[in-house]
Formats: sequence, C-alpha cells, structure tokens
Amino acid sequence: MADKHKPAPMVDEVSDFEVLEVAVRELAIEKGLFSAEDHRRFAEFAHSIGPLPAARLVAKSWLDPEFKKLALEDGFTASKEVGIDWLNPTGFGTPSDYCDLRVLENTPSVHHVVVCTLCSCYPRPILGHSPEWYRTPNYRRRLVRWPRQVLSEFGLQIPSDVEVRVEDSNQKCRFMVMPMRPEGTEDWSEDQLAEIVTRDCMLGVALPHPDRKADDKRPVHKAANPVHGH
Amino acid sequence: MDGQEKNNGAGAVNREPEFSSVSLLEKVRRQGKVWGDLAKKYGVENPDPPWKINLDSTCEALSAEQCALPVLERRNEEDELSESLYQDVPYPERQLLALAHSMIERGLIDEDELALRMKYVSKRLNSA
Repeated sequence: MADKHKPAPMVDEVSDFEVLEVAVRELAIEKGLFSAEDHRRFAEFAHSIGPLPAARLVAKSWLDPEFKKLALEDGFTASKEVGIDWLNPTGFGTPSDYCDLRVLENTPSVHHVVVCTLCSCYPRPILGHSPEWYRTPNYRRRLVRWPRQVLSEFGLQIPSDVEVRVEDSNQKCRFMVMPMRPEGTEDWSEDQLAEIVTRDCMLGVALPHPDRKADDKRPVHKAANPVHGH
Repeated sequence: MDGQEKNNGAGAVNREPEFSSVSLLEKVRRQGKVWGDLAKKYGVENPDPPWKINLDSTCEALSAEQCALPVLERRNEEDELSESLYQDVPYPERQLLALAHSMIERGLIDEDELALRMKYVSKRLNSA
C-alpha cells in the first residue's frame, strides 16, 4: 500500500531552457506583444485538445450517410456537430488555424495521406497537437516524392492497384482523412467505432482495425532473432 | 534578414535568411540541460518538459491579433535554424532557441535585456 502513495518522480532542477522560456514570455508580456490573460487562455486551450472530435466525426459518418455527405461537402459545418467551431475554437479567435476543413474519403481505390510541406499546418482544433514526426523536414520532403516508401516505414503497405494521394496542407486549408470502416465492426455503436479511429488513421499513415484502440496497452513483441545473451 | 530565395525541395519557394549566432543563445545551447537528459536523470517519463505548453502558447499568442511574429515566418526560421545553428539540439529545446533567435533578430526583444531577465528568473526559480 505504501508504494501506491509514493510520489511520482519529478525533475528537481531548473534548466537554462526553462529559464529562457520564462524570460522570453515575461518580456513579451511586458512589451505588450500579448497579454498574460491571452497566454493563459492559449495554454488552457492547448491542454484541452485531442483527436477525439475527429474520431467522432468519422464514426458518425460511418453510421449516418447524410452526415457523411455533410462531412465531405462541408467539414466546417460537420465539425460543429462534434463540438468544434472552427471560427472560434479557442473561444477567442483563430490565431493559426483556419476555417476550411476538408475531409478526404478513402475508398477501395484511393488512399489519402496528409502533409504540410511548407511548415506544419495541422487541423488542431479537431485533431489535437501534431506528432513530432509530422513536423520533420524529412517526412515533409519525402512523403510528396515517395509516399508508398514513407507509408511502409509506418508499417502501412498500400497495394499497387490503390492510388495514393498526398494532400498538402496550406495557410487556408486543413485536411483530415476519413478512413474506410473496417470489416468486423458491423452493429458497432458510434462510441465503439470512435475508439478505433486513431490519430494516425486520420492522417493516413495507418488504417483502423477492430482490435486496435488509441488507448490500448502497447504490444511488446520479442525479437525473432535476438542478439546472443539478450 | 536579407537572403537568397531557394526552393525548399517540396515545391515552395522560401527566403533563406543568413542567421548569425547570438552569444546568449549559444551559451544556453552549450550549457543548457535538455529535457531528455533531465528526465533520465530523475526517472521521469514525460516525453515533453513542463514548459513546452507555455512555449507553444507564446508562439500562438505572438501570431494572434497583433501578430508580432507570423506563424509561417517563425516556422520557416525554426526549420532553417534547426538545420544550421541548432542542429545538435533536440526538440523542443531547438524550437525555444529558434523562437528567441527570431525575436532577437526582429528587435522584439533585446539580447542584453533577455540575459538580464534570465538572471532574475533563474534566481527566482532557484530560490528556496
């Protein structure tokens, strides 16, 4: 029982980077570049976002043909039905996200994948923060040239008879992928379906699977050919 | 901030600023302990340092209404600095260094006043 109440380990040391972050922020506030209140609201917003609204949008679309039509034609309006208002996601304006959400439907003959070659534009209000790899010049440069190769590095092999379309985000548009509903999910509820629509599925670097949820325990596979002694 | 135009290899044409090092930030780069090392030392598993959300919020706030630093310019410069001056610094420490660099280059903050403020902040954060 005692172990259960042991405090989690913490970093008990102030680094120069931490000091630099505070110093930059304080000076910016003092110079009126933004207010402390604005900063706090951005921080609160950043803590509250994640991929669940987008997963809900996909799950609803799988169950409701009318909603799917709306999502594909007008992502902005469809987003409101899952609680996201692109005009005002933070409750105080849209600093770097834009109002044109396009939902890209995967079909048996077309697979979509999303990138931002210019920087790291991402549909944050509905999908949360972008993963680190999405920001890397490596992913951004190579995906547009060799999408199948990059997708295979994510463990996703797209058959040669399926066209791969790379969608490049920009200052005006944000994209998310609507994957195909996998077999084995017949009669599932919206909640059940939303659980298997993970972030990577909506970026196009993975496919949903009825046995895989976003919060599953991470599998550990033993090496087939372990190094001697390990 | 003058520079040559170049194709970034992804079809878009960027301006390539010629960044020179900032001695204060160089010092932080050389001496600062990055989160990965601190987390390992203290047995902490958080992938990001606690200040990451504040850093992101500062970037957002700077590109908001008054727009002292547009997001696209900042991100372009972060990419360039990440492949030059700060290439050996992990993320998100390099994002922070790049932000401070861009702000100093634009005169939004001054290197000397930043150094002084860091001194005060360090004293404050390290006080018992």
